[in-house]
Amino acid sequence: MSFWRLDTLFLTFLVLLTFIVSPMLGPANETVAPPFCKPLWLDPASGRPLSLNAKDNILSFTWESKPPKAFSVKGTVSFEEVPKDAALLLVSPKKTYKLMDLAGLKNLDVDIDSRDVPLKLHLGLNPFVEVSSVIFSEKGTYSLYVRSDVKAHVNLNINIYTGKWGIFGTDQRGRDVFRLFVQGIKISLLVGIFATLIASTIGMGLGLIAGYLGGLTDSSIMRTVDVLLAIPTLPILVVISGVWGRGLWQIVLVLSIFSWMGTARVVRSLTLSLREAPYVEGLRALGAPAGYILVRHFIPEALPLLLAQTVLGVPGAILAEAGLSFLGLSDPLMPSWGRMLHEAQVFGAFTGGAWWLIFPPGLGIASLCLAFISIGRRFEEMADPRLKEMTGR
Amino acid sequence: MMEVSSLSATYPNGFNAVKRADLNLASGKMLALVGESGSGKSTLIYACLGLLPKGSKVSGKVLFDQIDFLALPQESQRRIRWKKVSLILQGTMNSFTPVLTIKRQFLETMEEHLKLTQREAEAKAAGLLEEVGLDDGFLSRYPHEMSGGQKQRCAIAMALCCDPDYLLADEPTTALDVITQAEIMNLLKSIVRRRNMGMLMVTHDLALASSTADEICVMYQGCTIETERSDVIIRSPKQPHTIALVKSLSMMEE
Amino acid sequence: MNNYWLKRLLSSLLVIAVVLSLNFFLFRLMPGDPTSSLLDPRFSPEAKHELLKSYGLDKPLSQQFFIYVKQMLTFKFGISFMSQRPVWQELAERLPNTLLLLFPALLLSAVLGILLGVAAAKGRGGLVEKTVLLSGAISFSFPSFFVQLVLLLLLAHAFPIFPLRGSLSVPPPVGFWNLVTDKIWHMTLPVASLVLLGFGSWALYVRNLMVKALGEDFILLARAKGIRESRILWRHAFRTALPPIVTIFFLSLPGVISGAVITETVFSLHGIGKFLLDAVLGHDYPAAGAAFYLMSLVTVACNLLADVVYTFVDPRISFRRLR
Repeated sequence: MSFWRLDTLFLTFLVLLTFIVSPMLGPANETVAPPFCKPLWLDPASGRPLSLNAKDNILSFTWESKPPKAFSVKGTVSFEEVPKDAALLLVSPKKTYKLMDLAGLKNLDVDIDSRDVPLKLHLGLNPFVEVSSVIFSEKGTYSLYVRSDVKAHVNLNINIYTGKWGIFGTDQRGRDVFRLFVQGIKISLLVGIFATLIASTIGMGLGLIAGYLGGLTDSSIMRTVDVLLAIPTLPILVVISGVWGRGLWQIVLVLSIFSWMGTARVVRSLTLSLREAPYVEGLRALGAPAGYILVRHFIPEALPLLLAQTVLGVPGAILAEAGLSFLGLSDPLMPSWGRMLHEAQVFGAFTGGAWWLIFPPGLGIASLCLAFISIGRRFEEMADPRLKEMTGR
Repeated sequence: MMEVSSLSATYPNGFNAVKRADLNLASGKMLALVGESGSGKSTLIYACLGLLPKGSKVSGKVLFDQIDFLALPQESQRRIRWKKVSLILQGTMNSFTPVLTIKRQFLETMEEHLKLTQREAEAKAAGLLEEVGLDDGFLSRYPHEMSGGQKQRCAIAMALCCDPDYLLADEPTTALDVITQAEIMNLLKSIVRRRNMGMLMVTHDLALASSTADEICVMYQGCTIETERSDVIIRSPKQPHTIALVKSLSMMEE
Repeated sequence: MNNYWLKRLLSSLLVIAVVLSLNFFLFRLMPGDPTSSLLDPRFSPEAKHELLKSYGLDKPLSQQFFIYVKQMLTFKFGISFMSQRPVWQELAERLPNTLLLLFPALLLSAVLGILLGVAAAKGRGGLVEKTVLLSGAISFSFPSFFVQLVLLLLLAHAFPIFPLRGSLSVPPPVGFWNLVTDKIWHMTLPVASLVLLGFGSWALYVRNLMVKALGEDFILLARAKGIRESRILWRHAFRTALPPIVTIFFLSLPGVISGAVITETVFSLHGIGKFLLDAVLGHDYPAAGAAFYLMSLVTVACNLLADVVYTFVDPRISFRRLR
């Protein structure tokens, strides 16, 4: 059976994305743009954000899109002598706008944002008007320069905001959603895999012990399984997370404690059936010690099924962690997909219709789970070929 | 007369289980279809009834009193089932739906094929049970509340509920103890005589066949190789495989 | 009483005991002032001292435990920190809303799932079966809150057909039928989301059961008897598959109760799930403990009910004769 099918390829792609691409992107919690920016590829007519540096005295650029939401000019201007007449000008194809008066000082810091009210008044505009839509009303060539009677050294950055940013836009804090998404892969994978591995180990251990030893040990372990299974899962996770703490490893531990029961039952019934198998009796008659039988016969027999069970258990852990994060019970600094959806809901993704905050993490969770289920089902079929019929493949 | 001519049957996986089989069954006679496991004998009777799994290929003719059964459309086949020919499964199989009472399973068949009132149907069912040696208390029982022999008797009674002309039985006494086996076989023989039915019984047990059947048809690797009266075939088998079968019988008796 | 039922009852009581112990120790073993889990931290020291005595908190831990158990068993849940009202009242107010969410959702999912599962088993390899297999996989991988948020985005924001939040409009409408319509209007999206997520796993499960049942010998014999296919499908195959289906119905209630926490949070429904979450986040421990206890009681009851009902649906298992 070929290893490289859609599910394994997809999983590999995600792993590469999170471990190789993510460090190249920069910290996820950094604010990079205004809040609720749309993804770049949406609404192409509104243009891409621009960030230019005017090192020499003059900077020219073209603007061929709709007027941007805002722009800012930041940096420093220094003159060789104190100028008597100097101004920072923004020239549009139609008009020239004086953004700032620079006379009278040798070194100046420039920090202009088109949303500032003083700027609007300075330009003679109504405080409720969007400066950028007035200035950038025409398509064509624009230039930014300092007009002065003395030589000037200019180090200015003009940033034009179109309300768009990045592949997936920005969230309510102006963080790049794509970076959050890619980091979220790691969280989901870590929690899902570790929680399931720990749970499987506990389950296998206890199941083997219960099945092999029988008697009181068996009953007490099975009684524990019944009790734990009867406790409603999400409520107990909510209560424990709320009381105990919200860290990554706390969640992993809590999830493990409440998901080992299924594996234990399966391993126990497998152990019971293997214990009665004729070849095991033969081995015991020959004097083989229990450990030998366990390691050399039981485990290889049980391994394919256990592997399938473990892989199929990962989606449950991923969904549980996502659920807890969605309810707000995870570390706010951890870029979990569930947390992203939590913030989307709580901070009003709806009022803005910011669907780009909802689809990437949600589809991420779903596709990750689907990949694991697909792989797990393949393992299941390898372990028990009869199942091929049942799944209709 | 039930006539099977040139019947071939292939399973969906491509396995050709029956190759151009021929046999004839007359009313009032019992014909035993004998062969080892894998000779195609069970497949033959399911093929005759059009009950092979979806995707199987069946060719040839199966005539029940001149009615070409396999050529009929599904719905017409369904209408003459049980009235013309009925079936008894192997003793180890579940003939009855576990969650319904015996009465329900009798009555639904009679409701489907006969125009009887509820009371008439119940009375008939009770009579059939009596015919097989069970009291009518069994009607309100569930299948799991009966022993293997009792279930098989019920199955026989149900097979007779629409008064069929032919009865096909697939190893009806396998998995039953020897005494019950003998009882069931005697029961079947007397029913066949009394009702003048034709019965085709599949079995791997040549000894059983020779003691109960009028005619024996031997199957080997999907082909019907020899058909003869049971006493003749035991004394003078002609085909090599038949000879081998008869030899093993006498070896066991020694 | 019979051995088997005695064991089951004892097992259920054990679960309740564990839940009560968890409630008791979890909240009291937290770092900080142990009484903060029981007394509103806003009270003055004198009032706290009075309450401590009246709650019996100056007594040793073991005695406190018994008092706590007695309170829980008699449903005396104390006062909520957040609302200053009796917790019992808060729960009683919210329980109907949660039930109104869960029962229709579960019933619709089951019915839809059964119809699709039977259809899929009947038409092996056809379009229905492929849809069932796919929706089964989807229901195990899509998080409920995602589907719910998308539904809200589409049907409450982009096309404002349904309300964004709440169990009832504020202010609630006057008149019985107006009230009923308003309630249904608010519950449509939540119930629809649960059904969308749930029918897949039902359909898959029923399909597998039906495929197994249709492969049985008695189905072959029923066909040989000339019984109609529809009757074979429902009266024979489905009826045989029914006992496990009924069991799963009752056993899935606890899972749905768990999921109510999320659904009620997304849609801001006035139910027990959201109450539990708010209580935990707001450190309102009497309320949180009582809500969790109530949910556990319902879970235990459902598990017991599943066993009892099974004996009535499967004639092979008798209520009285179970050992």
